[in-house]
Amino acid sequence: MVAVAGRTYPAVQFEIEPDRVAAFARAIGADPADGVPPTFAAVYSLGVTAPQLFGDDEAAVDFARLLHAEQEFEWHRHPRAGETVTSRGRVASDMSRRGMRFLSFESETTDAKGAPVCTSRTLFVIRLEVRPARAPARS
Amino acid sequence: MSERKVTFNREQIAAYAEASGDQNPIHLDGDFARSVGLPGVIVHGMLQMGLLATVASEAAGGPDKLRRLSVRFAGMVEPGDTVTFAAKPASPGKLELSATNQRGEAVLTKASAEYVE
Repeated sequence: MVAVAGRTYPAVQFEIEPDRVAAFARAIGADPADGVPPTFAAVYSLGVTAPQLFGDDEAAVDFARLLHAEQEFEWHRHPRAGETVTSRGRVASDMSRRGMRFLSFESETTDAKGAPVCTSRTLFVIRLEVRPARAPARS
Repeated sequence: MSERKVTFNREQIAAYAEASGDQNPIHLDGDFARSVGLPGVIVHGMLQMGLLATVASEAAGGPDKLRRLSVRFAGMVEPGDTVTFAAKPASPGKLELSATNQRGEAVLTKASAEYVE
């Protein structure tokens, strides 16, 4: 595992399909007639970039020990069903202490004209393998 | 004050997994969840945040009014748990949010939202 702060991933395009939006709205008990639910950003923003981080061998994120600890979305506007948006993932910080690794991951989503739509900020906490303590040196 | 009480079940978790694409087996497969030290399947944090967003949207006057939403996932939620999601005005354009289980424990903390009036 190496610290990967500052690492960026290639842009990913995603089409916001109306049927998927409606299924998502029903799953969170929202009215599909109200348009794209705000937290559908978990799909069109975080959902398309996080797999790039998880698939990055150098970042070595142990998925089984991963906790989604904090999440923030900031919307410049809410996208409409049928739009295609583009998201770019970036590791904002990567620090390990006391057996825990704290990885801040951001995803910036823009529309077809390049105008900002949403910023997703995630804190992932990964429990690191506990290594047995070294035997004390003999004097 | 907007409020919503939800008792989670496996069907709702499966529907969210399907619609969101988050098919992590800790949400769907009890044996797998126990093998990684969990009590059993747990509810997606993002499903909880999605429900909280519906309450925040109602308090803000519509989902398109929301400009920011943030939470800390503070506690595990399992099928059968009942969580009360609530939003109340904090200051102009700002909401204070909460999500509390049937034992009175906060499952989402540091939860707040901003909206355009």
